[in-house]
Amino acid sequence: MMASVLANGMQGGPSVVLKGVDPETCMIVFKNHWAQVVKILEKHDPLRSGLGGLRLGQVPGDEASAVQNYVEHMLFLLMEEESGQSGAMGPILEFVVMENVMERLFIWSLRREFTDDMKLDQLKMYEMLIGQARQPLLHHKPILRPLMMLLSSCSGTAGTAELVLLLNQLCCVLAKDPSILELFFHTSEDQGAANFLIFSLLIPFIHREGAVGQQARDALLLIMALSAENHVVAKHIAENTYFCPVLATGLSGLYSSLPTKLDVPSEDWHSLNREDWQQVPALVQFLNSLEFCNAVMQVAHPSIRDQLVGYICNGFLVPVLAPALHKLTIEEAMTTTAYLDLFLRSVTEPALLHTFLSFILLHRHDNVHILDTLVSRINTPFQLGTVSLALFRTLIGLYCEDVMLQLILKYLIPCNHMMLSQRRVLKERDCYSVSAAKILIIPPPLRQLDSIVWSKGTHSGTMGSDFAATRPAFSEDDDSGNSCVIGSEIYLDVSYLHYLYDARNGISSCMRACRVWSAPYDGENPPPEEYQPSTLEETSRVRSSAAPRRATKNSQGQSQVNPQTLSDLTSPLGVELEWDDSYDAAPVQTEEEPENHAPIPDEPPKHIQELRRTAIMLVKGSYIEESEFQNDVMVYDLVAQKDAQDLKAKAKLNHVTPKPVVETPEMVMNCLDNQNSEPPVCNGLNSSLEKHSNEREGIQAVESKSPEGEDLVTQYEELIRTLVVEASSPTKSDKELRSPIVPMEEEEDDMDFSVFSAETPDSEKIPSPFGTKPRSASRNHSIPFTGPFVSVLLSRLENMLENSLHVNLLLTGILAQLAAYPQPLLRSFLLNTNMVFQPSVRSLYQVLASLKNQIEQLAASKKDFPELLTAAQQCLLARESSLRDLLPGSNSPQGSERFSGSTAGRTLNIPPVQPKIVVPRNRTEVYATVIFTEFLKELAAIAQEHSVLSHLPMEE
Amino acid sequence: MNPFWSMSTNAGRKRTDGEEQGGPGEQKASPVRPSFGKKQLPTIPKNAVPVTKPSSPASATQATNGTHASYGPFYLEYSLLAEFTLVIKQKLPGIYVQPSYRSALMWFGVIFIRHGLYQDGVFKFTVYIPDNYPDGECPRVVFDIPVFHPLVDPVSGELDVRRAFNKWRRNHNHIWQVLMYARTVFYKINTMEPLNPEAAVLYDKDVQLFKSKVVDSVKLCNSHLFDQPKIDDPYAISFSPWNPAVHEEAKEKMFTHKRRPEDQPKGLQVSGLSWVKPGSTQPFSKEEYPLQT
Repeated sequence: MMASVLANGMQGGPSVVLKGVDPETCMIVFKNHWAQVVKILEKHDPLRSGLGGLRLGQVPGDEASAVQNYVEHMLFLLMEEESGQSGAMGPILEFVVMENVMERLFIWSLRREFTDDMKLDQLKMYEMLIGQARQPLLHHKPILRPLMMLLSSCSGTAGTAELVLLLNQLCCVLAKDPSILELFFHTSEDQGAANFLIFSLLIPFIHREGAVGQQARDALLLIMALSAENHVVAKHIAENTYFCPVLATGLSGLYSSLPTKLDVPSEDWHSLNREDWQQVPALVQFLNSLEFCNAVMQVAHPSIRDQLVGYICNGFLVPVLAPALHKLTIEEAMTTTAYLDLFLRSVTEPALLHTFLSFILLHRHDNVHILDTLVSRINTPFQLGTVSLALFRTLIGLYCEDVMLQLILKYLIPCNHMMLSQRRVLKERDCYSVSAAKILIIPPPLRQLDSIVWSKGTHSGTMGSDFAATRPAFSEDDDSGNSCVIGSEIYLDVSYLHYLYDARNGISSCMRACRVWSAPYDGENPPPEEYQPSTLEETSRVRSSAAPRRATKNSQGQSQVNPQTLSDLTSPLGVELEWDDSYDAAPVQTEEEPENHAPIPDEPPKHIQELRRTAIMLVKGSYIEESEFQNDVMVYDLVAQKDAQDLKAKAKLNHVTPKPVVETPEMVMNCLDNQNSEPPVCNGLNSSLEKHSNEREGIQAVESKSPEGEDLVTQYEELIRTLVVEASSPTKSDKELRSPIVPMEEEEDDMDFSVFSAETPDSEKIPSPFGTKPRSASRNHSIPFTGPFVSVLLSRLENMLENSLHVNLLLTGILAQLAAYPQPLLRSFLLNTNMVFQPSVRSLYQVLASLKNQIEQLAASKKDFPELLTAAQQCLLARESSLRDLLPGSNSPQGSERFSGSTAGRTLNIPPVQPKIVVPRNRTEVYATVIFTEFLKELAAIAQEHSVLSHLPMEE
Repeated sequence: MNPFWSMSTNAGRKRTDGEEQGGPGEQKASPVRPSFGKKQLPTIPKNAVPVTKPSSPASATQATNGTHASYGPFYLEYSLLAEFTLVIKQKLPGIYVQPSYRSALMWFGVIFIRHGLYQDGVFKFTVYIPDNYPDGECPRVVFDIPVFHPLVDPVSGELDVRRAFNKWRRNHNHIWQVLMYARTVFYKINTMEPLNPEAAVLYDKDVQLFKSKVVDSVKLCNSHLFDQPKIDDPYAISFSPWNPAVHEEAKEKMFTHKRRPEDQPKGLQVSGLSWVKPGSTQPFSKEEYPLQT
């Protein structure tokens, strides 16, 4: 039809022909053509011709094509016409307007059969006219009105690329010349149709995939930008259109089509990178829409923004994402967590981040804060724990005060974690790098490794990798050797310079970011006195009841039955190493753990029953992925526990998980805590399960006997009772417990479980994991507690030797990032080795010291350890160099630097430079030792830079 | 000692370093703020003092103050950096220092005396910090040209600092105090146990003659102001006559510096987030966006 001919003929032809033709001639030609057209039109005009009955289909073909030919030429002429002097209409345009040419043509086509094809042609025609005309056309109603009529006739029909293209073009014109906006509104008013037709027509294409969707979104964004300036538009969109609901619920729709389980490429995989999500079309589509929401928030009027935020929260996050994060299998929970992480990385607009973060921080699902659930999952085995770590790395990398407040700072504000006398030292600067010197407790077997070329990028997961771009600058250092001699015989670890450099960058960007924070968190503001725990929000949460017992002096004694130690014993590694008489006690874990759990709703919700069922299945060894569970922590813990049992006992039990599970005490703690109190007993159970010869009986008892759900409780109690009785033995002196580094000499048998019950009334001594929560003791709020997040991180760190390489990279990365925060409360807690904390508070330094001990024992017991370390180091270097090569092309969704490190996991398994010996991945302790050493350097460097940067007067 | 940090001033700056005597141009010498903020690791100078060679762990020796040999120098370096930032913080009137390129243990300084007997004096000096800092002696201050002063050695130009810090105590004593002291001696003359007995005697017996000697000394110092620095170092402080082509722009910058922080284009994405109302510890307590749920 005409436009397609037009389109084909347009490629250069007529415009060239018309060049140089004088305007008057054009005008004459145009008028002639029109006269011919009018003749035909009038002939068929029912009003004029008097042939009232004649309507559709009565136009002879030759006449129709004649009209078409004339119109084509006329449109060429119109398009090519320059506007008159000082912006006046050119003569042809004026004629078109006066004669109402366009409308008459449109009506003529209505009179004939107005097929979709014809509409299409007319859309193309207008598209070309608007896109290529040399003078503004849309200002003129006689042109605009038929266009709007055409558009409204298209509103019902199947959307086409042409329609969107035209709409997009109209929006471009609008954006350039907002004065037309008024006309658009008025024109549609004339028809009584919905206002602002262009906009309404675009809405259905919001979530469309491919180029059409993109065009529609681009067009909508242009209008959004207009709305920021034009109140009428904003009001219209917010009040009279379904824009926001469509956008938000569309997210839900798209989300529902995402795969519920992801194919995890490798064990080290922990987050969705570009290469990952680009292969999932549904995910690409979702991200497109999410990005669009982000862009809308960025440019739209606040009223639209606020409305959209509301719909996203109540139409997507709460009803869709929250349940998705919960009631699913481990795989599904893991997948959702990875999605959430990806979404957070994709969103940049503060308003949208605000929505997501307030959802994570404040929303309760089944009475549990999302954040608490997520924190508790850090400690789960399987990929879920790793993916959760990656999520927290993202969260922490946002430099968001609210996040940091909820995760850590609110626990530090009261300053209860430190001795009273220490408060004034809080802000003190470490002038002489005393802390750094203390942190650098590199175990002897590793000192020699300093001499190997080693650059910091190995911590791919840490903030260090953010500066990968700058790293090449160091290449010459690396070439010339890693250490240099200064003056006489002082060797320098040049790689340490890289750490210092990275630390400086990390801290200064963090400081810059934190300028928007509301308070310095320096132990004075917010004032500790005003924020004692009782006044803090979480008092409202019901906490476990173990407090009074712990509050006593006995807390020291408890630490000797250290869950850490015990779980070490249970781990495969521990067995291999023959943990005979030397293991070190990481002190005081017990004290803080009991609080480390999600708040318990007043009445155990119905999902507890669900949980019981699941737990039973677990213990029976019948846990399968599809089994439903509600309480993550509980289930994961049980799985972990069971796996550990399996490993140790090498029994006929069905192995549920293929890989050895790193067991951490919190799992068990959490599990019982969530249900009940008395976590230490639980630890005792856990460890004794492993240690005692009759453990099998206990387990088998549960396994064989538990017929129905209700009985499990009883059996559990029974099991605990047996074990507690057996395990009782004399207590150790407190002295040994105070020094974390002194290895304890006792045999395992010396474990004293009586401490658990020392001051516990009989009724409470044996807890029922599934019974009702004892409310006997309200939490003693003066008990120092640095929060579940810190506690989980530290305990996972303490298990470093059993963690996979990637978990360790994530962990150390998160801790390094935390350490870069300039807030004195946080800085002093993590880095100040001179600070005196309350005995029950475990510090990062204590964990490091404990790790150092573990490593030293490892080194002493294995002759080939140094060689393995060297080999592992080479493997990591090879990995690093391969990552560095990959880095430029593999960025996060928004190409932001801060996540570039996340690419690490994907490529881990392809070391391009083959080191001489490839240390198998399952030698986690070897890799962990190398990472540990680098982590010490990283922390020391951060401490050193703090001593300079954090005290630099912020420039006025 | 290897300079791990360096000022952003490059070697070329040496030439452009100029100083209008007295007056507002004085601010020039402050290397402090802009340069420090841009501290960056230089590549280790190829031909500078440090010699790079593969290490052999066996020969790693005890460092001065560190637990581990390799890191001692880093601690020292950062201790001095910390000292330097303290100096910046103090905003000592009329005193400017800049650590040398070659060693963090040597700082170049200049002091402007604005009133009193030594008014209009511009004295360049060098601070020498012992390499077992902070556990050693107190730093030494040596004037490039021995100023006529009871406490300044007429031959070596060294100021008697030790009398004020007879025992250097870490955590209590800081280098800024030494600099402060160096300034004070020109305003409050002390003639006890002088290094320059002649000056001491004159001050006590014949102030007029003392004054005229001081005036001569000040003139002498100022006449050598444009001399090449005594120590050849890229970061040595050097003066040149006012040259609008070179200095005007820098001066302009200094005067406009104060209102700059805002318009410095920073990566917008880098900045942090906060919805915490000041005075509250509740997340999302700020009513910036309506809270859902």
